[in-house]
Amino acid sequence: MGTFSLEKRDAMYWLGRYTERVYTTLKAFYDYYDKMIDRDPNIYIKLCDRLDIPNIYDNPNEFIHNFLFDQSNPDSVYLSLNRAMDNGIMLRNEITSETLAYIQMALDLYGASTSSDVPTMALLPVQDYLLAFWGSLDDNARDQRCRDIIKCGKYIERLDLYYRLYYPADKIEKELCKLINRLPRTGMPYQPELMDELVSVCRDPNRQKGWRMQCAHKLYHLIG
Amino acid sequence: MVTFAFFIFSNEKEKGRIMAMKQIIAHSDSINMLLARYGVKFGIYKHGQFIEQLFPFDPIPRIIPAEDFNYLERGLIQRVNALNRFLADIYSSKNIIKDGIIPEDFVFSSSGYLPECEGIMPPAGIFSHISGIDLVQAKDGTWYVLEDNLRIPSGASYPLIARDLTRRADPQVFNEYPVIDNRDYADILKETMDHVNLGGINVILTPGRYNSAFFEHSYLAEKTGSVLAMPNELFVQDCKLYYRDDQGSKQRVGALYRRLSDEFLDPCTFRPDSLIGVPNLMAAYRAGNVAIINTPGNGVADDKGIYYFVPKMIQYYLNEEPILKNAPTYLPIYEEDRNYVLDNFDNLVIKDVAEAGGYGVVFGSKLEGAEKERFRELVKNEPRRFIAQEVIDFLDLDIMDEGKQVPRKADLRAFVLSGETTRVWASGLTRFSRVADSFIVNSSQGGGFKDTWVLSR
Repeated sequence: MGTFSLEKRDAMYWLGRYTERVYTTLKAFYDYYDKMIDRDPNIYIKLCDRLDIPNIYDNPNEFIHNFLFDQSNPDSVYLSLNRAMDNGIMLRNEITSETLAYIQMALDLYGASTSSDVPTMALLPVQDYLLAFWGSLDDNARDQRCRDIIKCGKYIERLDLYYRLYYPADKIEKELCKLINRLPRTGMPYQPELMDELVSVCRDPNRQKGWRMQCAHKLYHLIG
Repeated sequence: MVTFAFFIFSNEKEKGRIMAMKQIIAHSDSINMLLARYGVKFGIYKHGQFIEQLFPFDPIPRIIPAEDFNYLERGLIQRVNALNRFLADIYSSKNIIKDGIIPEDFVFSSSGYLPECEGIMPPAGIFSHISGIDLVQAKDGTWYVLEDNLRIPSGASYPLIARDLTRRADPQVFNEYPVIDNRDYADILKETMDHVNLGGINVILTPGRYNSAFFEHSYLAEKTGSVLAMPNELFVQDCKLYYRDDQGSKQRVGALYRRLSDEFLDPCTFRPDSLIGVPNLMAAYRAGNVAIINTPGNGVADDKGIYYFVPKMIQYYLNEEPILKNAPTYLPIYEEDRNYVLDNFDNLVIKDVAEAGGYGVVFGSKLEGAEKERFRELVKNEPRRFIAQEVIDFLDLDIMDEGKQVPRKADLRAFVLSGETTRVWASGLTRFSRVADSFIVNSSQGGGFKDTWVLSR
């Protein structure tokens, strides 16, 4: 197992979470944005509700700009990407400059897209860079445990968003299986019984209404 | 006067140089794109806010012919060896003071002199492992040393990564032009750390993400395979330094390349209000259990006032004539020098010895009226605080400015690494002013950088 401090381990975990938050939130944004075009311009309110973030936006246009690009908004995607960089930059040694460069490029591109009138197009390469980042991480990370921790952060964030965004149970189960395989290899304290519970709820054909939000709350307590 | 090969390029060589420059300029967009990709940045604090920005890079390199580099190399090794001998002497027997070469007051009134370091002999007797010597080349080709930086000289990572990226953007030019590969810096640095390592891992200690040189800290850690640590990741137990891992285990640290200033290094020894130090680090160092790179207390040797005495140190310790010249310097603390400074105020540059980074530098000719008078009074009343130097008309180097080639003032920071032997890195950080006729090249004041090519023949 590689040697790194608790602070570095935290940075790895949050690097995984923030990169995934940007990736999956952008995907969700595109879905809702599509509906806003000609069906329900106010559907963004539902997205805020599902993400459990305050609806501070006065109108759809303000939502589009502020949610995507306002760095002073703690819920904005741009801020999440900055947070990914803040964590990633502490880990150059572990993930390599090659891998970090993909976050840097995503961030630079994101910053350059703030004035775009078609954000869905302008931000598309950000997702490409994030995919490249994960590929590069697989290839270049200096230590297997470092890779496992970053990926666990990614899967936990993905699960959290999938629960909140009402993804189908089979997709959630797939991510849970990935997490089960990785988590024991990270050296991070976690609650195995909670993990089992999350899986069994997902597989239960008679699960109750509202199970996703309950699981999202349980997920919060998974890592000690 | 030394005649330099720089001025006697044969036509063939000059043609080759012009071709190479044209090629490099043509690829400058690609190089800048790569620098942005890898986040080659430095941070500055403006109005209390941390702003990180790309370090402006100029694609036209400074070229140092092999003959010039051989000369510089000999002079730099000599200078750094003498400075290391001086530090060993000052913190032990102080013979250079006893023998009247340097006045006692001059040493002990230096803010860089740390009584807490008295009697400590670092591993292998090396005090300055990484020395950054700032030089300028005058228009007549003569090189002058402007400043010695023996504490935590920064900047090597920039030409290091710039070369790597330039070779990617323009491989042809390196195929045709005999440039010594400078990408061995990390290897030399690692050897330097290994040489003094007292058992354990090599660690680069950074004050954190919001330090102006954080890019460099993390990049050098990656390239040397060292652990990059923040102060709270280290602790001292039984006079030994350890790195704490996430499983609650500890790893012994054998060599610590610290990138924070002496006064913040250990709150138990220096500033008690330091939140970025490692408590009891000095106890571990004093006990001979960890090497600190560079050693605390080196500021006494790179004090702008002590600079005046470096040629004398070379004669005293090495019994050799100095190879490199100091810029003609005057110490107002001496009456004769003070009178000269006051009589020739307009022709001199006055430097506050306590300042760095291009701050506290005043050109006499730029002051007027009451301001000038006030400054002259300051020099009279606080003579130890200042040195005065003749203004050297540096050789201008061309830079690209909005698509045009324009001349700008530039200096060179040469890096000298002292381990098993003293070595000069065949490259260096060339900093330039982006403002016409300005002599201030510091990055913190808007300057940019160039790669430095040392030719192999």
